[in-house]
Amino acid sequence: MTSTTDGHIVKRFDEEMQEMHDGVLQMGALARRQIRQAVKSLQAEDPSAARNVIERDSDVNELDKILNAQVEQILARRQPMASDLREILTIEKIATDLERVGDEASKIAQLAVHFFEKQSAVPNYQLLSEVTKTARFVESMLQESLEAFDEKHLDRACNVIRMGSELDGEFRTSIRHLTTFVMEDSRTIGHFIDIVLGIRALERIGGHAKNIGGYVIYLLTGRDVRHEPLDQLLREISL
Amino acid sequence: MSAPDSNIGVTFPRDHRETVGQIEHPNFKIRCRDLNVFYGENQAIFDVSLDIGSNEVIAMIGPSGCGKSTLIRCFNRMNDTINGCRVDGSIEMDGEDVNSNEIDVVLLRARVGMVFQKPNPFPKSIYENVAYGPRIHGLTNGKEELDSAVESSLLRAGLWDEVADRLDEPGTGLSGGQQQRLCIARAISINPEVILMDEPCSALDPIATARIEELIDELKRNYSIAIVTHSMQQAARVSQRTAYFHLGYLIEVGETEKIFTNPSHQLTEDYITGRFG
Repeated sequence: MTSTTDGHIVKRFDEEMQEMHDGVLQMGALARRQIRQAVKSLQAEDPSAARNVIERDSDVNELDKILNAQVEQILARRQPMASDLREILTIEKIATDLERVGDEASKIAQLAVHFFEKQSAVPNYQLLSEVTKTARFVESMLQESLEAFDEKHLDRACNVIRMGSELDGEFRTSIRHLTTFVMEDSRTIGHFIDIVLGIRALERIGGHAKNIGGYVIYLLTGRDVRHEPLDQLLREISL
Repeated sequence: MSAPDSNIGVTFPRDHRETVGQIEHPNFKIRCRDLNVFYGENQAIFDVSLDIGSNEVIAMIGPSGCGKSTLIRCFNRMNDTINGCRVDGSIEMDGEDVNSNEIDVVLLRARVGMVFQKPNPFPKSIYENVAYGPRIHGLTNGKEELDSAVESSLLRAGLWDEVADRLDEPGTGLSGGQQQRLCIARAISINPEVILMDEPCSALDPIATARIEELIDELKRNYSIAIVTHSMQQAARVSQRTAYFHLGYLIEVGETEKIFTNPSHQLTEDYITGRFG
């Protein structure tokens, strides 16, 4: 439920809430850029670009700390209730998930360093294409979840949850493709294992995006949907 | 009318005036139905229906002038003391209509005690403040029983340890928080069934307030308590149910945790998030 009045009687409260809201979007934009840059560093066979991604993870961590401090302050000073309280708790949880997204993006960048700096043989492009495909999907999930938060959009939040179910299928398909490739050429087994780890990291990013979708549903409805089956959830929200 | 729990995100708009939430209590002490209260030509309460449960604390919140104090004053007919005040509708306690001509109002006010915003001890000793009620109601036989009743009341009000050695001193000589606990001791000395509290802590410092809130938590084991408060944090801390009033209407009533985390009416949401106005 969002207010239909002109805002909080104490304007500073609304400003602080907006500041945190914007902080989440800033952190989300940075996390998405990290994913894109990590995957690009793999495609471009660029370990230096990959090292930049790894270094920039500290920026994501810093934003997490700032947001958590703001949450603590506003809880102590303002004693927010109802939708304000839910929004603040949601912001805290989203920040945690975005920090983890940053970590997973770093792991993907680590792959580029591993392949193109430390190894003599680079992985086959067909193996890397599975990473690119999965990365596109999870980045769109993350975008959808952050826009659902920004717009307080219940439909889009539910859409992210649906995409989470699709991601499971995408992941299994990728593993099947990779397995087929390795069976044709067993010398690629080493790269296969590394690529699977990369895709796992992306799958976890998708999981975090799905979490964010769930937090937005909680923000808008007050209902914790984290462990509920999708079809039951959608029925009850009547979408 | 109640907001169905299965409809996620259902909200009642600001202009919706029928009460949202559960007005009934399965084990009610006071049942109030279709209550309208007038001060002369001015209507202060509109069609309010609400149960006060046994052994519960129910908080009444809302902006100034919304009818919270008017409502609780109906329960012990304190509004009888106001010229031109008229009450329509029904208020029953244990099946008896409290507004019936056959009701002994003095006895009613013994059963439904009241604690006010400003502590108002009698200009008597601490002992006499508490002994007065049992004495005039004939609740005790002899001095020994009276002493015991005074001690018991002061113990239950959490004041005994602080005043045991000076019961002859004037009640007005105590601190604000102690005076309020003395008033609570006075109210419970005549074994009420319901205690009405009209902003009991608004004149007290935070430590005295915390003591009163602790006391309320203990008292609810034996009494039903209706507390009017302007502090939403206090309402959230002390009550099991909360009722939100707006311009004389009961807008929403429900479990306190729901009201303060996910209210169903837009007006309730606006008020408790500070966007009312």
